Amino acid sequence: MTPFAARPPAPRRFGPVNGRGVYALYKRETVRFYRFAWETLAGPAISALMFLAVFHLALGGGEVRPGIGLSVFIGPGIVMFMMAHGAFEGGAIPILFHKLEGMITDVMSAPLTPLEILAGYVLPATGGALTIGAVVLALVAVFVDLPVHSLTAIVGFAVAASLLLALLGLVVGICVERWDGYSAVETFLVAPLGFLSGAFFPIDNLPEKVRWVFHFNPVFQAVEGFRYGFIGEAQTSLALAALVLAAMGLVLGLVAWRMLAVGYRIKP
Amino acid sequence: MEPIFAHERVLGPRFMGTVNWRGLWTLYLKEVRRFLNVFTQTLLAPVITSLLFLAIFALALGGAGRQAAGIPFIEFLAPGLIMMTMIQNSFANTSSTILIAKVQGNIVDILMPPLSASELTLGIAGGGVTRGLMVGLAAGLAMWIFVPLRIHDPAVLLFHAVNASLMLSLLGMIGGIWAEKFDHIAAVTNFVITPFSFLSGTFYSTERLPETWQIVAHFNPFFYMIDGLRYGFIGRADGSIVLGLLAVPAVNACLYLLAHRMFATGYRLKP
Repeated sequence: MTPFAARPPAPRRFGPVNGRGVYALYKRETVRFYRFAWETLAGPAISALMFLAVFHLALGGGEVRPGIGLSVFIGPGIVMFMMAHGAFEGGAIPILFHKLEGMITDVMSAPLTPLEILAGYVLPATGGALTIGAVVLALVAVFVDLPVHSLTAIVGFAVAASLLLALLGLVVGICVERWDGYSAVETFLVAPLGFLSGAFFPIDNLPEKVRWVFHFNPVFQAVEGFRYGFIGEAQTSLALAALVLAAMGLVLGLVAWRMLAVGYRIKP
Repeated sequence: MEPIFAHERVLGPRFMGTVNWRGLWTLYLKEVRRFLNVFTQTLLAPVITSLLFLAIFALALGGAGRQAAGIPFIEFLAPGLIMMTMIQNSFANTSSTILIAKVQGNIVDILMPPLSASELTLGIAGGGVTRGLMVGLAAGLAMWIFVPLRIHDPAVLLFHAVNASLMLSLLGMIGGIWAEKFDHIAAVTNFVITPFSFLSGTFYSTERLPETWQIVAHFNPFFYMIDGLRYGFIGRADGSIVLGLLAVPAVNACLYLLAHRMFATGYRLKP
């Protein structure tokens, strides 16, 4: 009789969802997020305060619309801008890194369905973005007296926008093959979507003819919906904003799911 | 030693004078090719970002009525944005080249060859200055499409463009040598370089600041670089031009000596 009987561990049984697997992926990316908190959390926080200071100094306060001060208008925009950017980075960087370093096989060979892998990448990115949003919002609230009109709109649009941008990040992370490609997408797609979203300026300043283009920008819809939660008015209808975010999220989710299922640019 | 075969030539030692010109040129070329290899990230991205900044500020103003320092705001803003882009990119170039070389271990490839500390400092700084000037020129040309840029004093403009790129290249080098992880350099970029490049009069005339902050601003070398470059374009400055022409090279000389000392002693470079 050997002292240590070599008994193989019993196979782990799980129901239709491998909850522990998804949680393990979630925890891994969340730990990464906090380990690099200087870049992932402190960076956006400092940028947000600088944007606030610069806009205040350059434009000298004043009112955007009657009763709405410039800082009150820009504050929520900055929070959403930082959240959206954080969600995209959180969705794209981990999977691209895992692909380049070959660690993606660890995920692909684990007993996880494509949908579970999708959740394992998108949920931590969303969580990270919401953390960024909370920190930035708290900092902005120190300097700006923000009213709260509808908590539902604030939370709802924050979650919807973070999810959408995390999904976009995941799709981009799967599609590109080098950091150069990622950087190109960030420069030519994500930065314009963020900067030209009406986060920093009211679109009433624009000529009527170009204003409709903005409605196709999901970040614009998210910013307007999120800002509605604070100031109680928006340049778009809330139903349309919710619809655009949901529709785009659904399409991107399906695309990402199919990509993971067939192993597009992941499996050789 | 006799060559074994008659046609074989013995490679003798290469003689050089006081300066290893070929080595310096090779190091410089390596630095330039390094960033040109990924020009989407190093040239195109900064230009697009500065154009986006121009767009949001132009849109946030709500019409052409607003002025800063007596000229249309957009003409005031453009030189500031050009300088901000140059500042950020010169710093990024030298800090990343040194830190990546340190982390990956190929720093020995530049420490082993017969290159003196001054040649190392100048070669690497040269790469950063080149990137700063190229990005500045590209951003300037791109903005020129949208903003009527006039050049008031090309000499002052060039002086500040070169000196600012050099200052940030040297700072990046010092930062890269000091840093041991990417976290460290990210912290320097987030907490020092970006705030200074944002808050030194890029987007507003320092006349807008409260009295005490105006005095603080005049001790900030970044302020003189941005103000000086803007003077080169619009012919009007918040601070003293002469002081800027003297202070910026003085700061550069100190930074050069520090970077040189770091290479000479091998601070955090040699075990």
